[in-house]
Amino acid sequence: MAVSAPLTPSWNPLRCAGQGLPVPLALMAKIVALALLLTGHVRLLPDPFLSFIPVLDLLPGPAFQLTLQAVFVLAALAILFNRSLGAACTVLGLTILLAVVSSKAYYGNNKTMCGIMLLLAGLYHPRTGVWFLRAQFVLVYFGAGLNKLLDPDWQSGLFFDHWASARLKNPFYLWLAPQLPPLVAGKLFCWVTIGTELALAAAFMAPRLYPAAIWVSLLFHASLLEFTGTTFTMFFYVMEASVLVFVTWPHELTILYDGGCGICNRIRRFVERLDFDRGFQWEAFQTGAGDRWNIPRAALNERLHLVVSHPAGDRVYAGFRACKLILLYNPSFLLALAAAIALPPGDAALYRRLFVAVWLAFFFPLFNSIGERVYNWVASNRHRLSRESTCAVEPAGRQ
Amino acid sequence: MILRAVLASALLAFQIAAILYARTAPTRYFCWAPFDMQTDFEATAIVQGRELTPSEIRARYRRPHKGSDNRSAQHVFDMFEQTERRYHAGDPARITIRYRVNGKEWSTWQYPRP
Repeated sequence: MAVSAPLTPSWNPLRCAGQGLPVPLALMAKIVALALLLTGHVRLLPDPFLSFIPVLDLLPGPAFQLTLQAVFVLAALAILFNRSLGAACTVLGLTILLAVVSSKAYYGNNKTMCGIMLLLAGLYHPRTGVWFLRAQFVLVYFGAGLNKLLDPDWQSGLFFDHWASARLKNPFYLWLAPQLPPLVAGKLFCWVTIGTELALAAAFMAPRLYPAAIWVSLLFHASLLEFTGTTFTMFFYVMEASVLVFVTWPHELTILYDGGCGICNRIRRFVERLDFDRGFQWEAFQTGAGDRWNIPRAALNERLHLVVSHPAGDRVYAGFRACKLILLYNPSFLLALAAAIALPPGDAALYRRLFVAVWLAFFFPLFNSIGERVYNWVASNRHRLSRESTCAVEPAGRQ
Repeated sequence: MILRAVLASALLAFQIAAILYARTAPTRYFCWAPFDMQTDFEATAIVQGRELTPSEIRARYRRPHKGSDNRSAQHVFDMFEQTERRYHAGDPARITIRYRVNGKEWSTWQYPRP
């Protein structure tokens, strides 16, 4: 994962390329920093209490807490505004980890994970790449899966049965459990969780399985949010953002579009306005740009194409699938998603459940058939939908 | 680069050690055991013959007198016991915690141990 060509550090928080870290790491750090700020996490930072390192208890409490809070906010803002991105990640990571070890009352897995991923992002070096971050992610799933595998209450299903029924009072579980023999529902959920975590630990060690593992991981944590209505403080944000360390960012993204289509040009101008990294190259197919990838003109005339270029080779996507990837490869979109989930104050369980479910459905491959139908209708009617069209070729289906 | 790699390796090695240590102890610190155990508890604390109020318990131990913890039950006990050992050698409390794990039968933990 190469660092993008160095540019002048930008104050624009929606810029991730050329800011000192590879785009996926910069984006991961920004999503975590943004969520930390928007959820008001600074208020949770502690004074020393039952420190894991006893000498920290000797530090003056109010001064320690105030210093932590000030450094926390400054470092998070520095990450967002691209001020020495690597150093800011290190500082914010260490601040959170210091808070964790200084107070057993504050200690939590979600905060520890935030601190570690930010610290490892700050320790990134091109020669070691993202290996340590990937290893950390694997370790989390392995530790979690192993702990549960060896716990009798997880083996029997008792944990989930008690948690889902007595604690969460989850309507779906309360309906399902009585339909089955005692503890069977609990056992099912427990073993699916154990299996998923251990399988993810293994899958994230095999590069060929990264795409599937990323999907399963995203779905796993989204399903936890859907089931419980909570983000487990920061855990949802940091785990979803951390899958980015398994993404190889393309070195070129070429969009082949109909230059004579009004609605296409309007979309192009809109997307370009939000493409602060200038990551996308828009090429009207009428210029012959598609010849480089042997894409037939007829196909280019019917639908928009996206070419994702990696050193290993190019992949071509069309229509709805291309549109989805254009969203996913735009850091602005992912940051906006994170902000929309983190912003609502308090519980907001219903809002978060709906919001995450809608976007998950939109991006999930099973939705493609619906998405393609909608896309095809818009594409075949695009010249009627816009007065700007100067199309010299009859749209497909009208010839 | 070497220093960064050493620091990152040390971080990972610490966690591996914590995961292995968790196999031998009831605590679950730094070993990635989130939400592995639901501990319901009710605590009472008596200092110099007087039972502390709920707000006094929260101020002294930074835990409610009654509630749930989403990790190992030992974490709950640690908060109360270590608070006493570290901060209240001069005004010790007798603590009784009635607790249950994952909805099983209620048990009692006491400090100092009887």
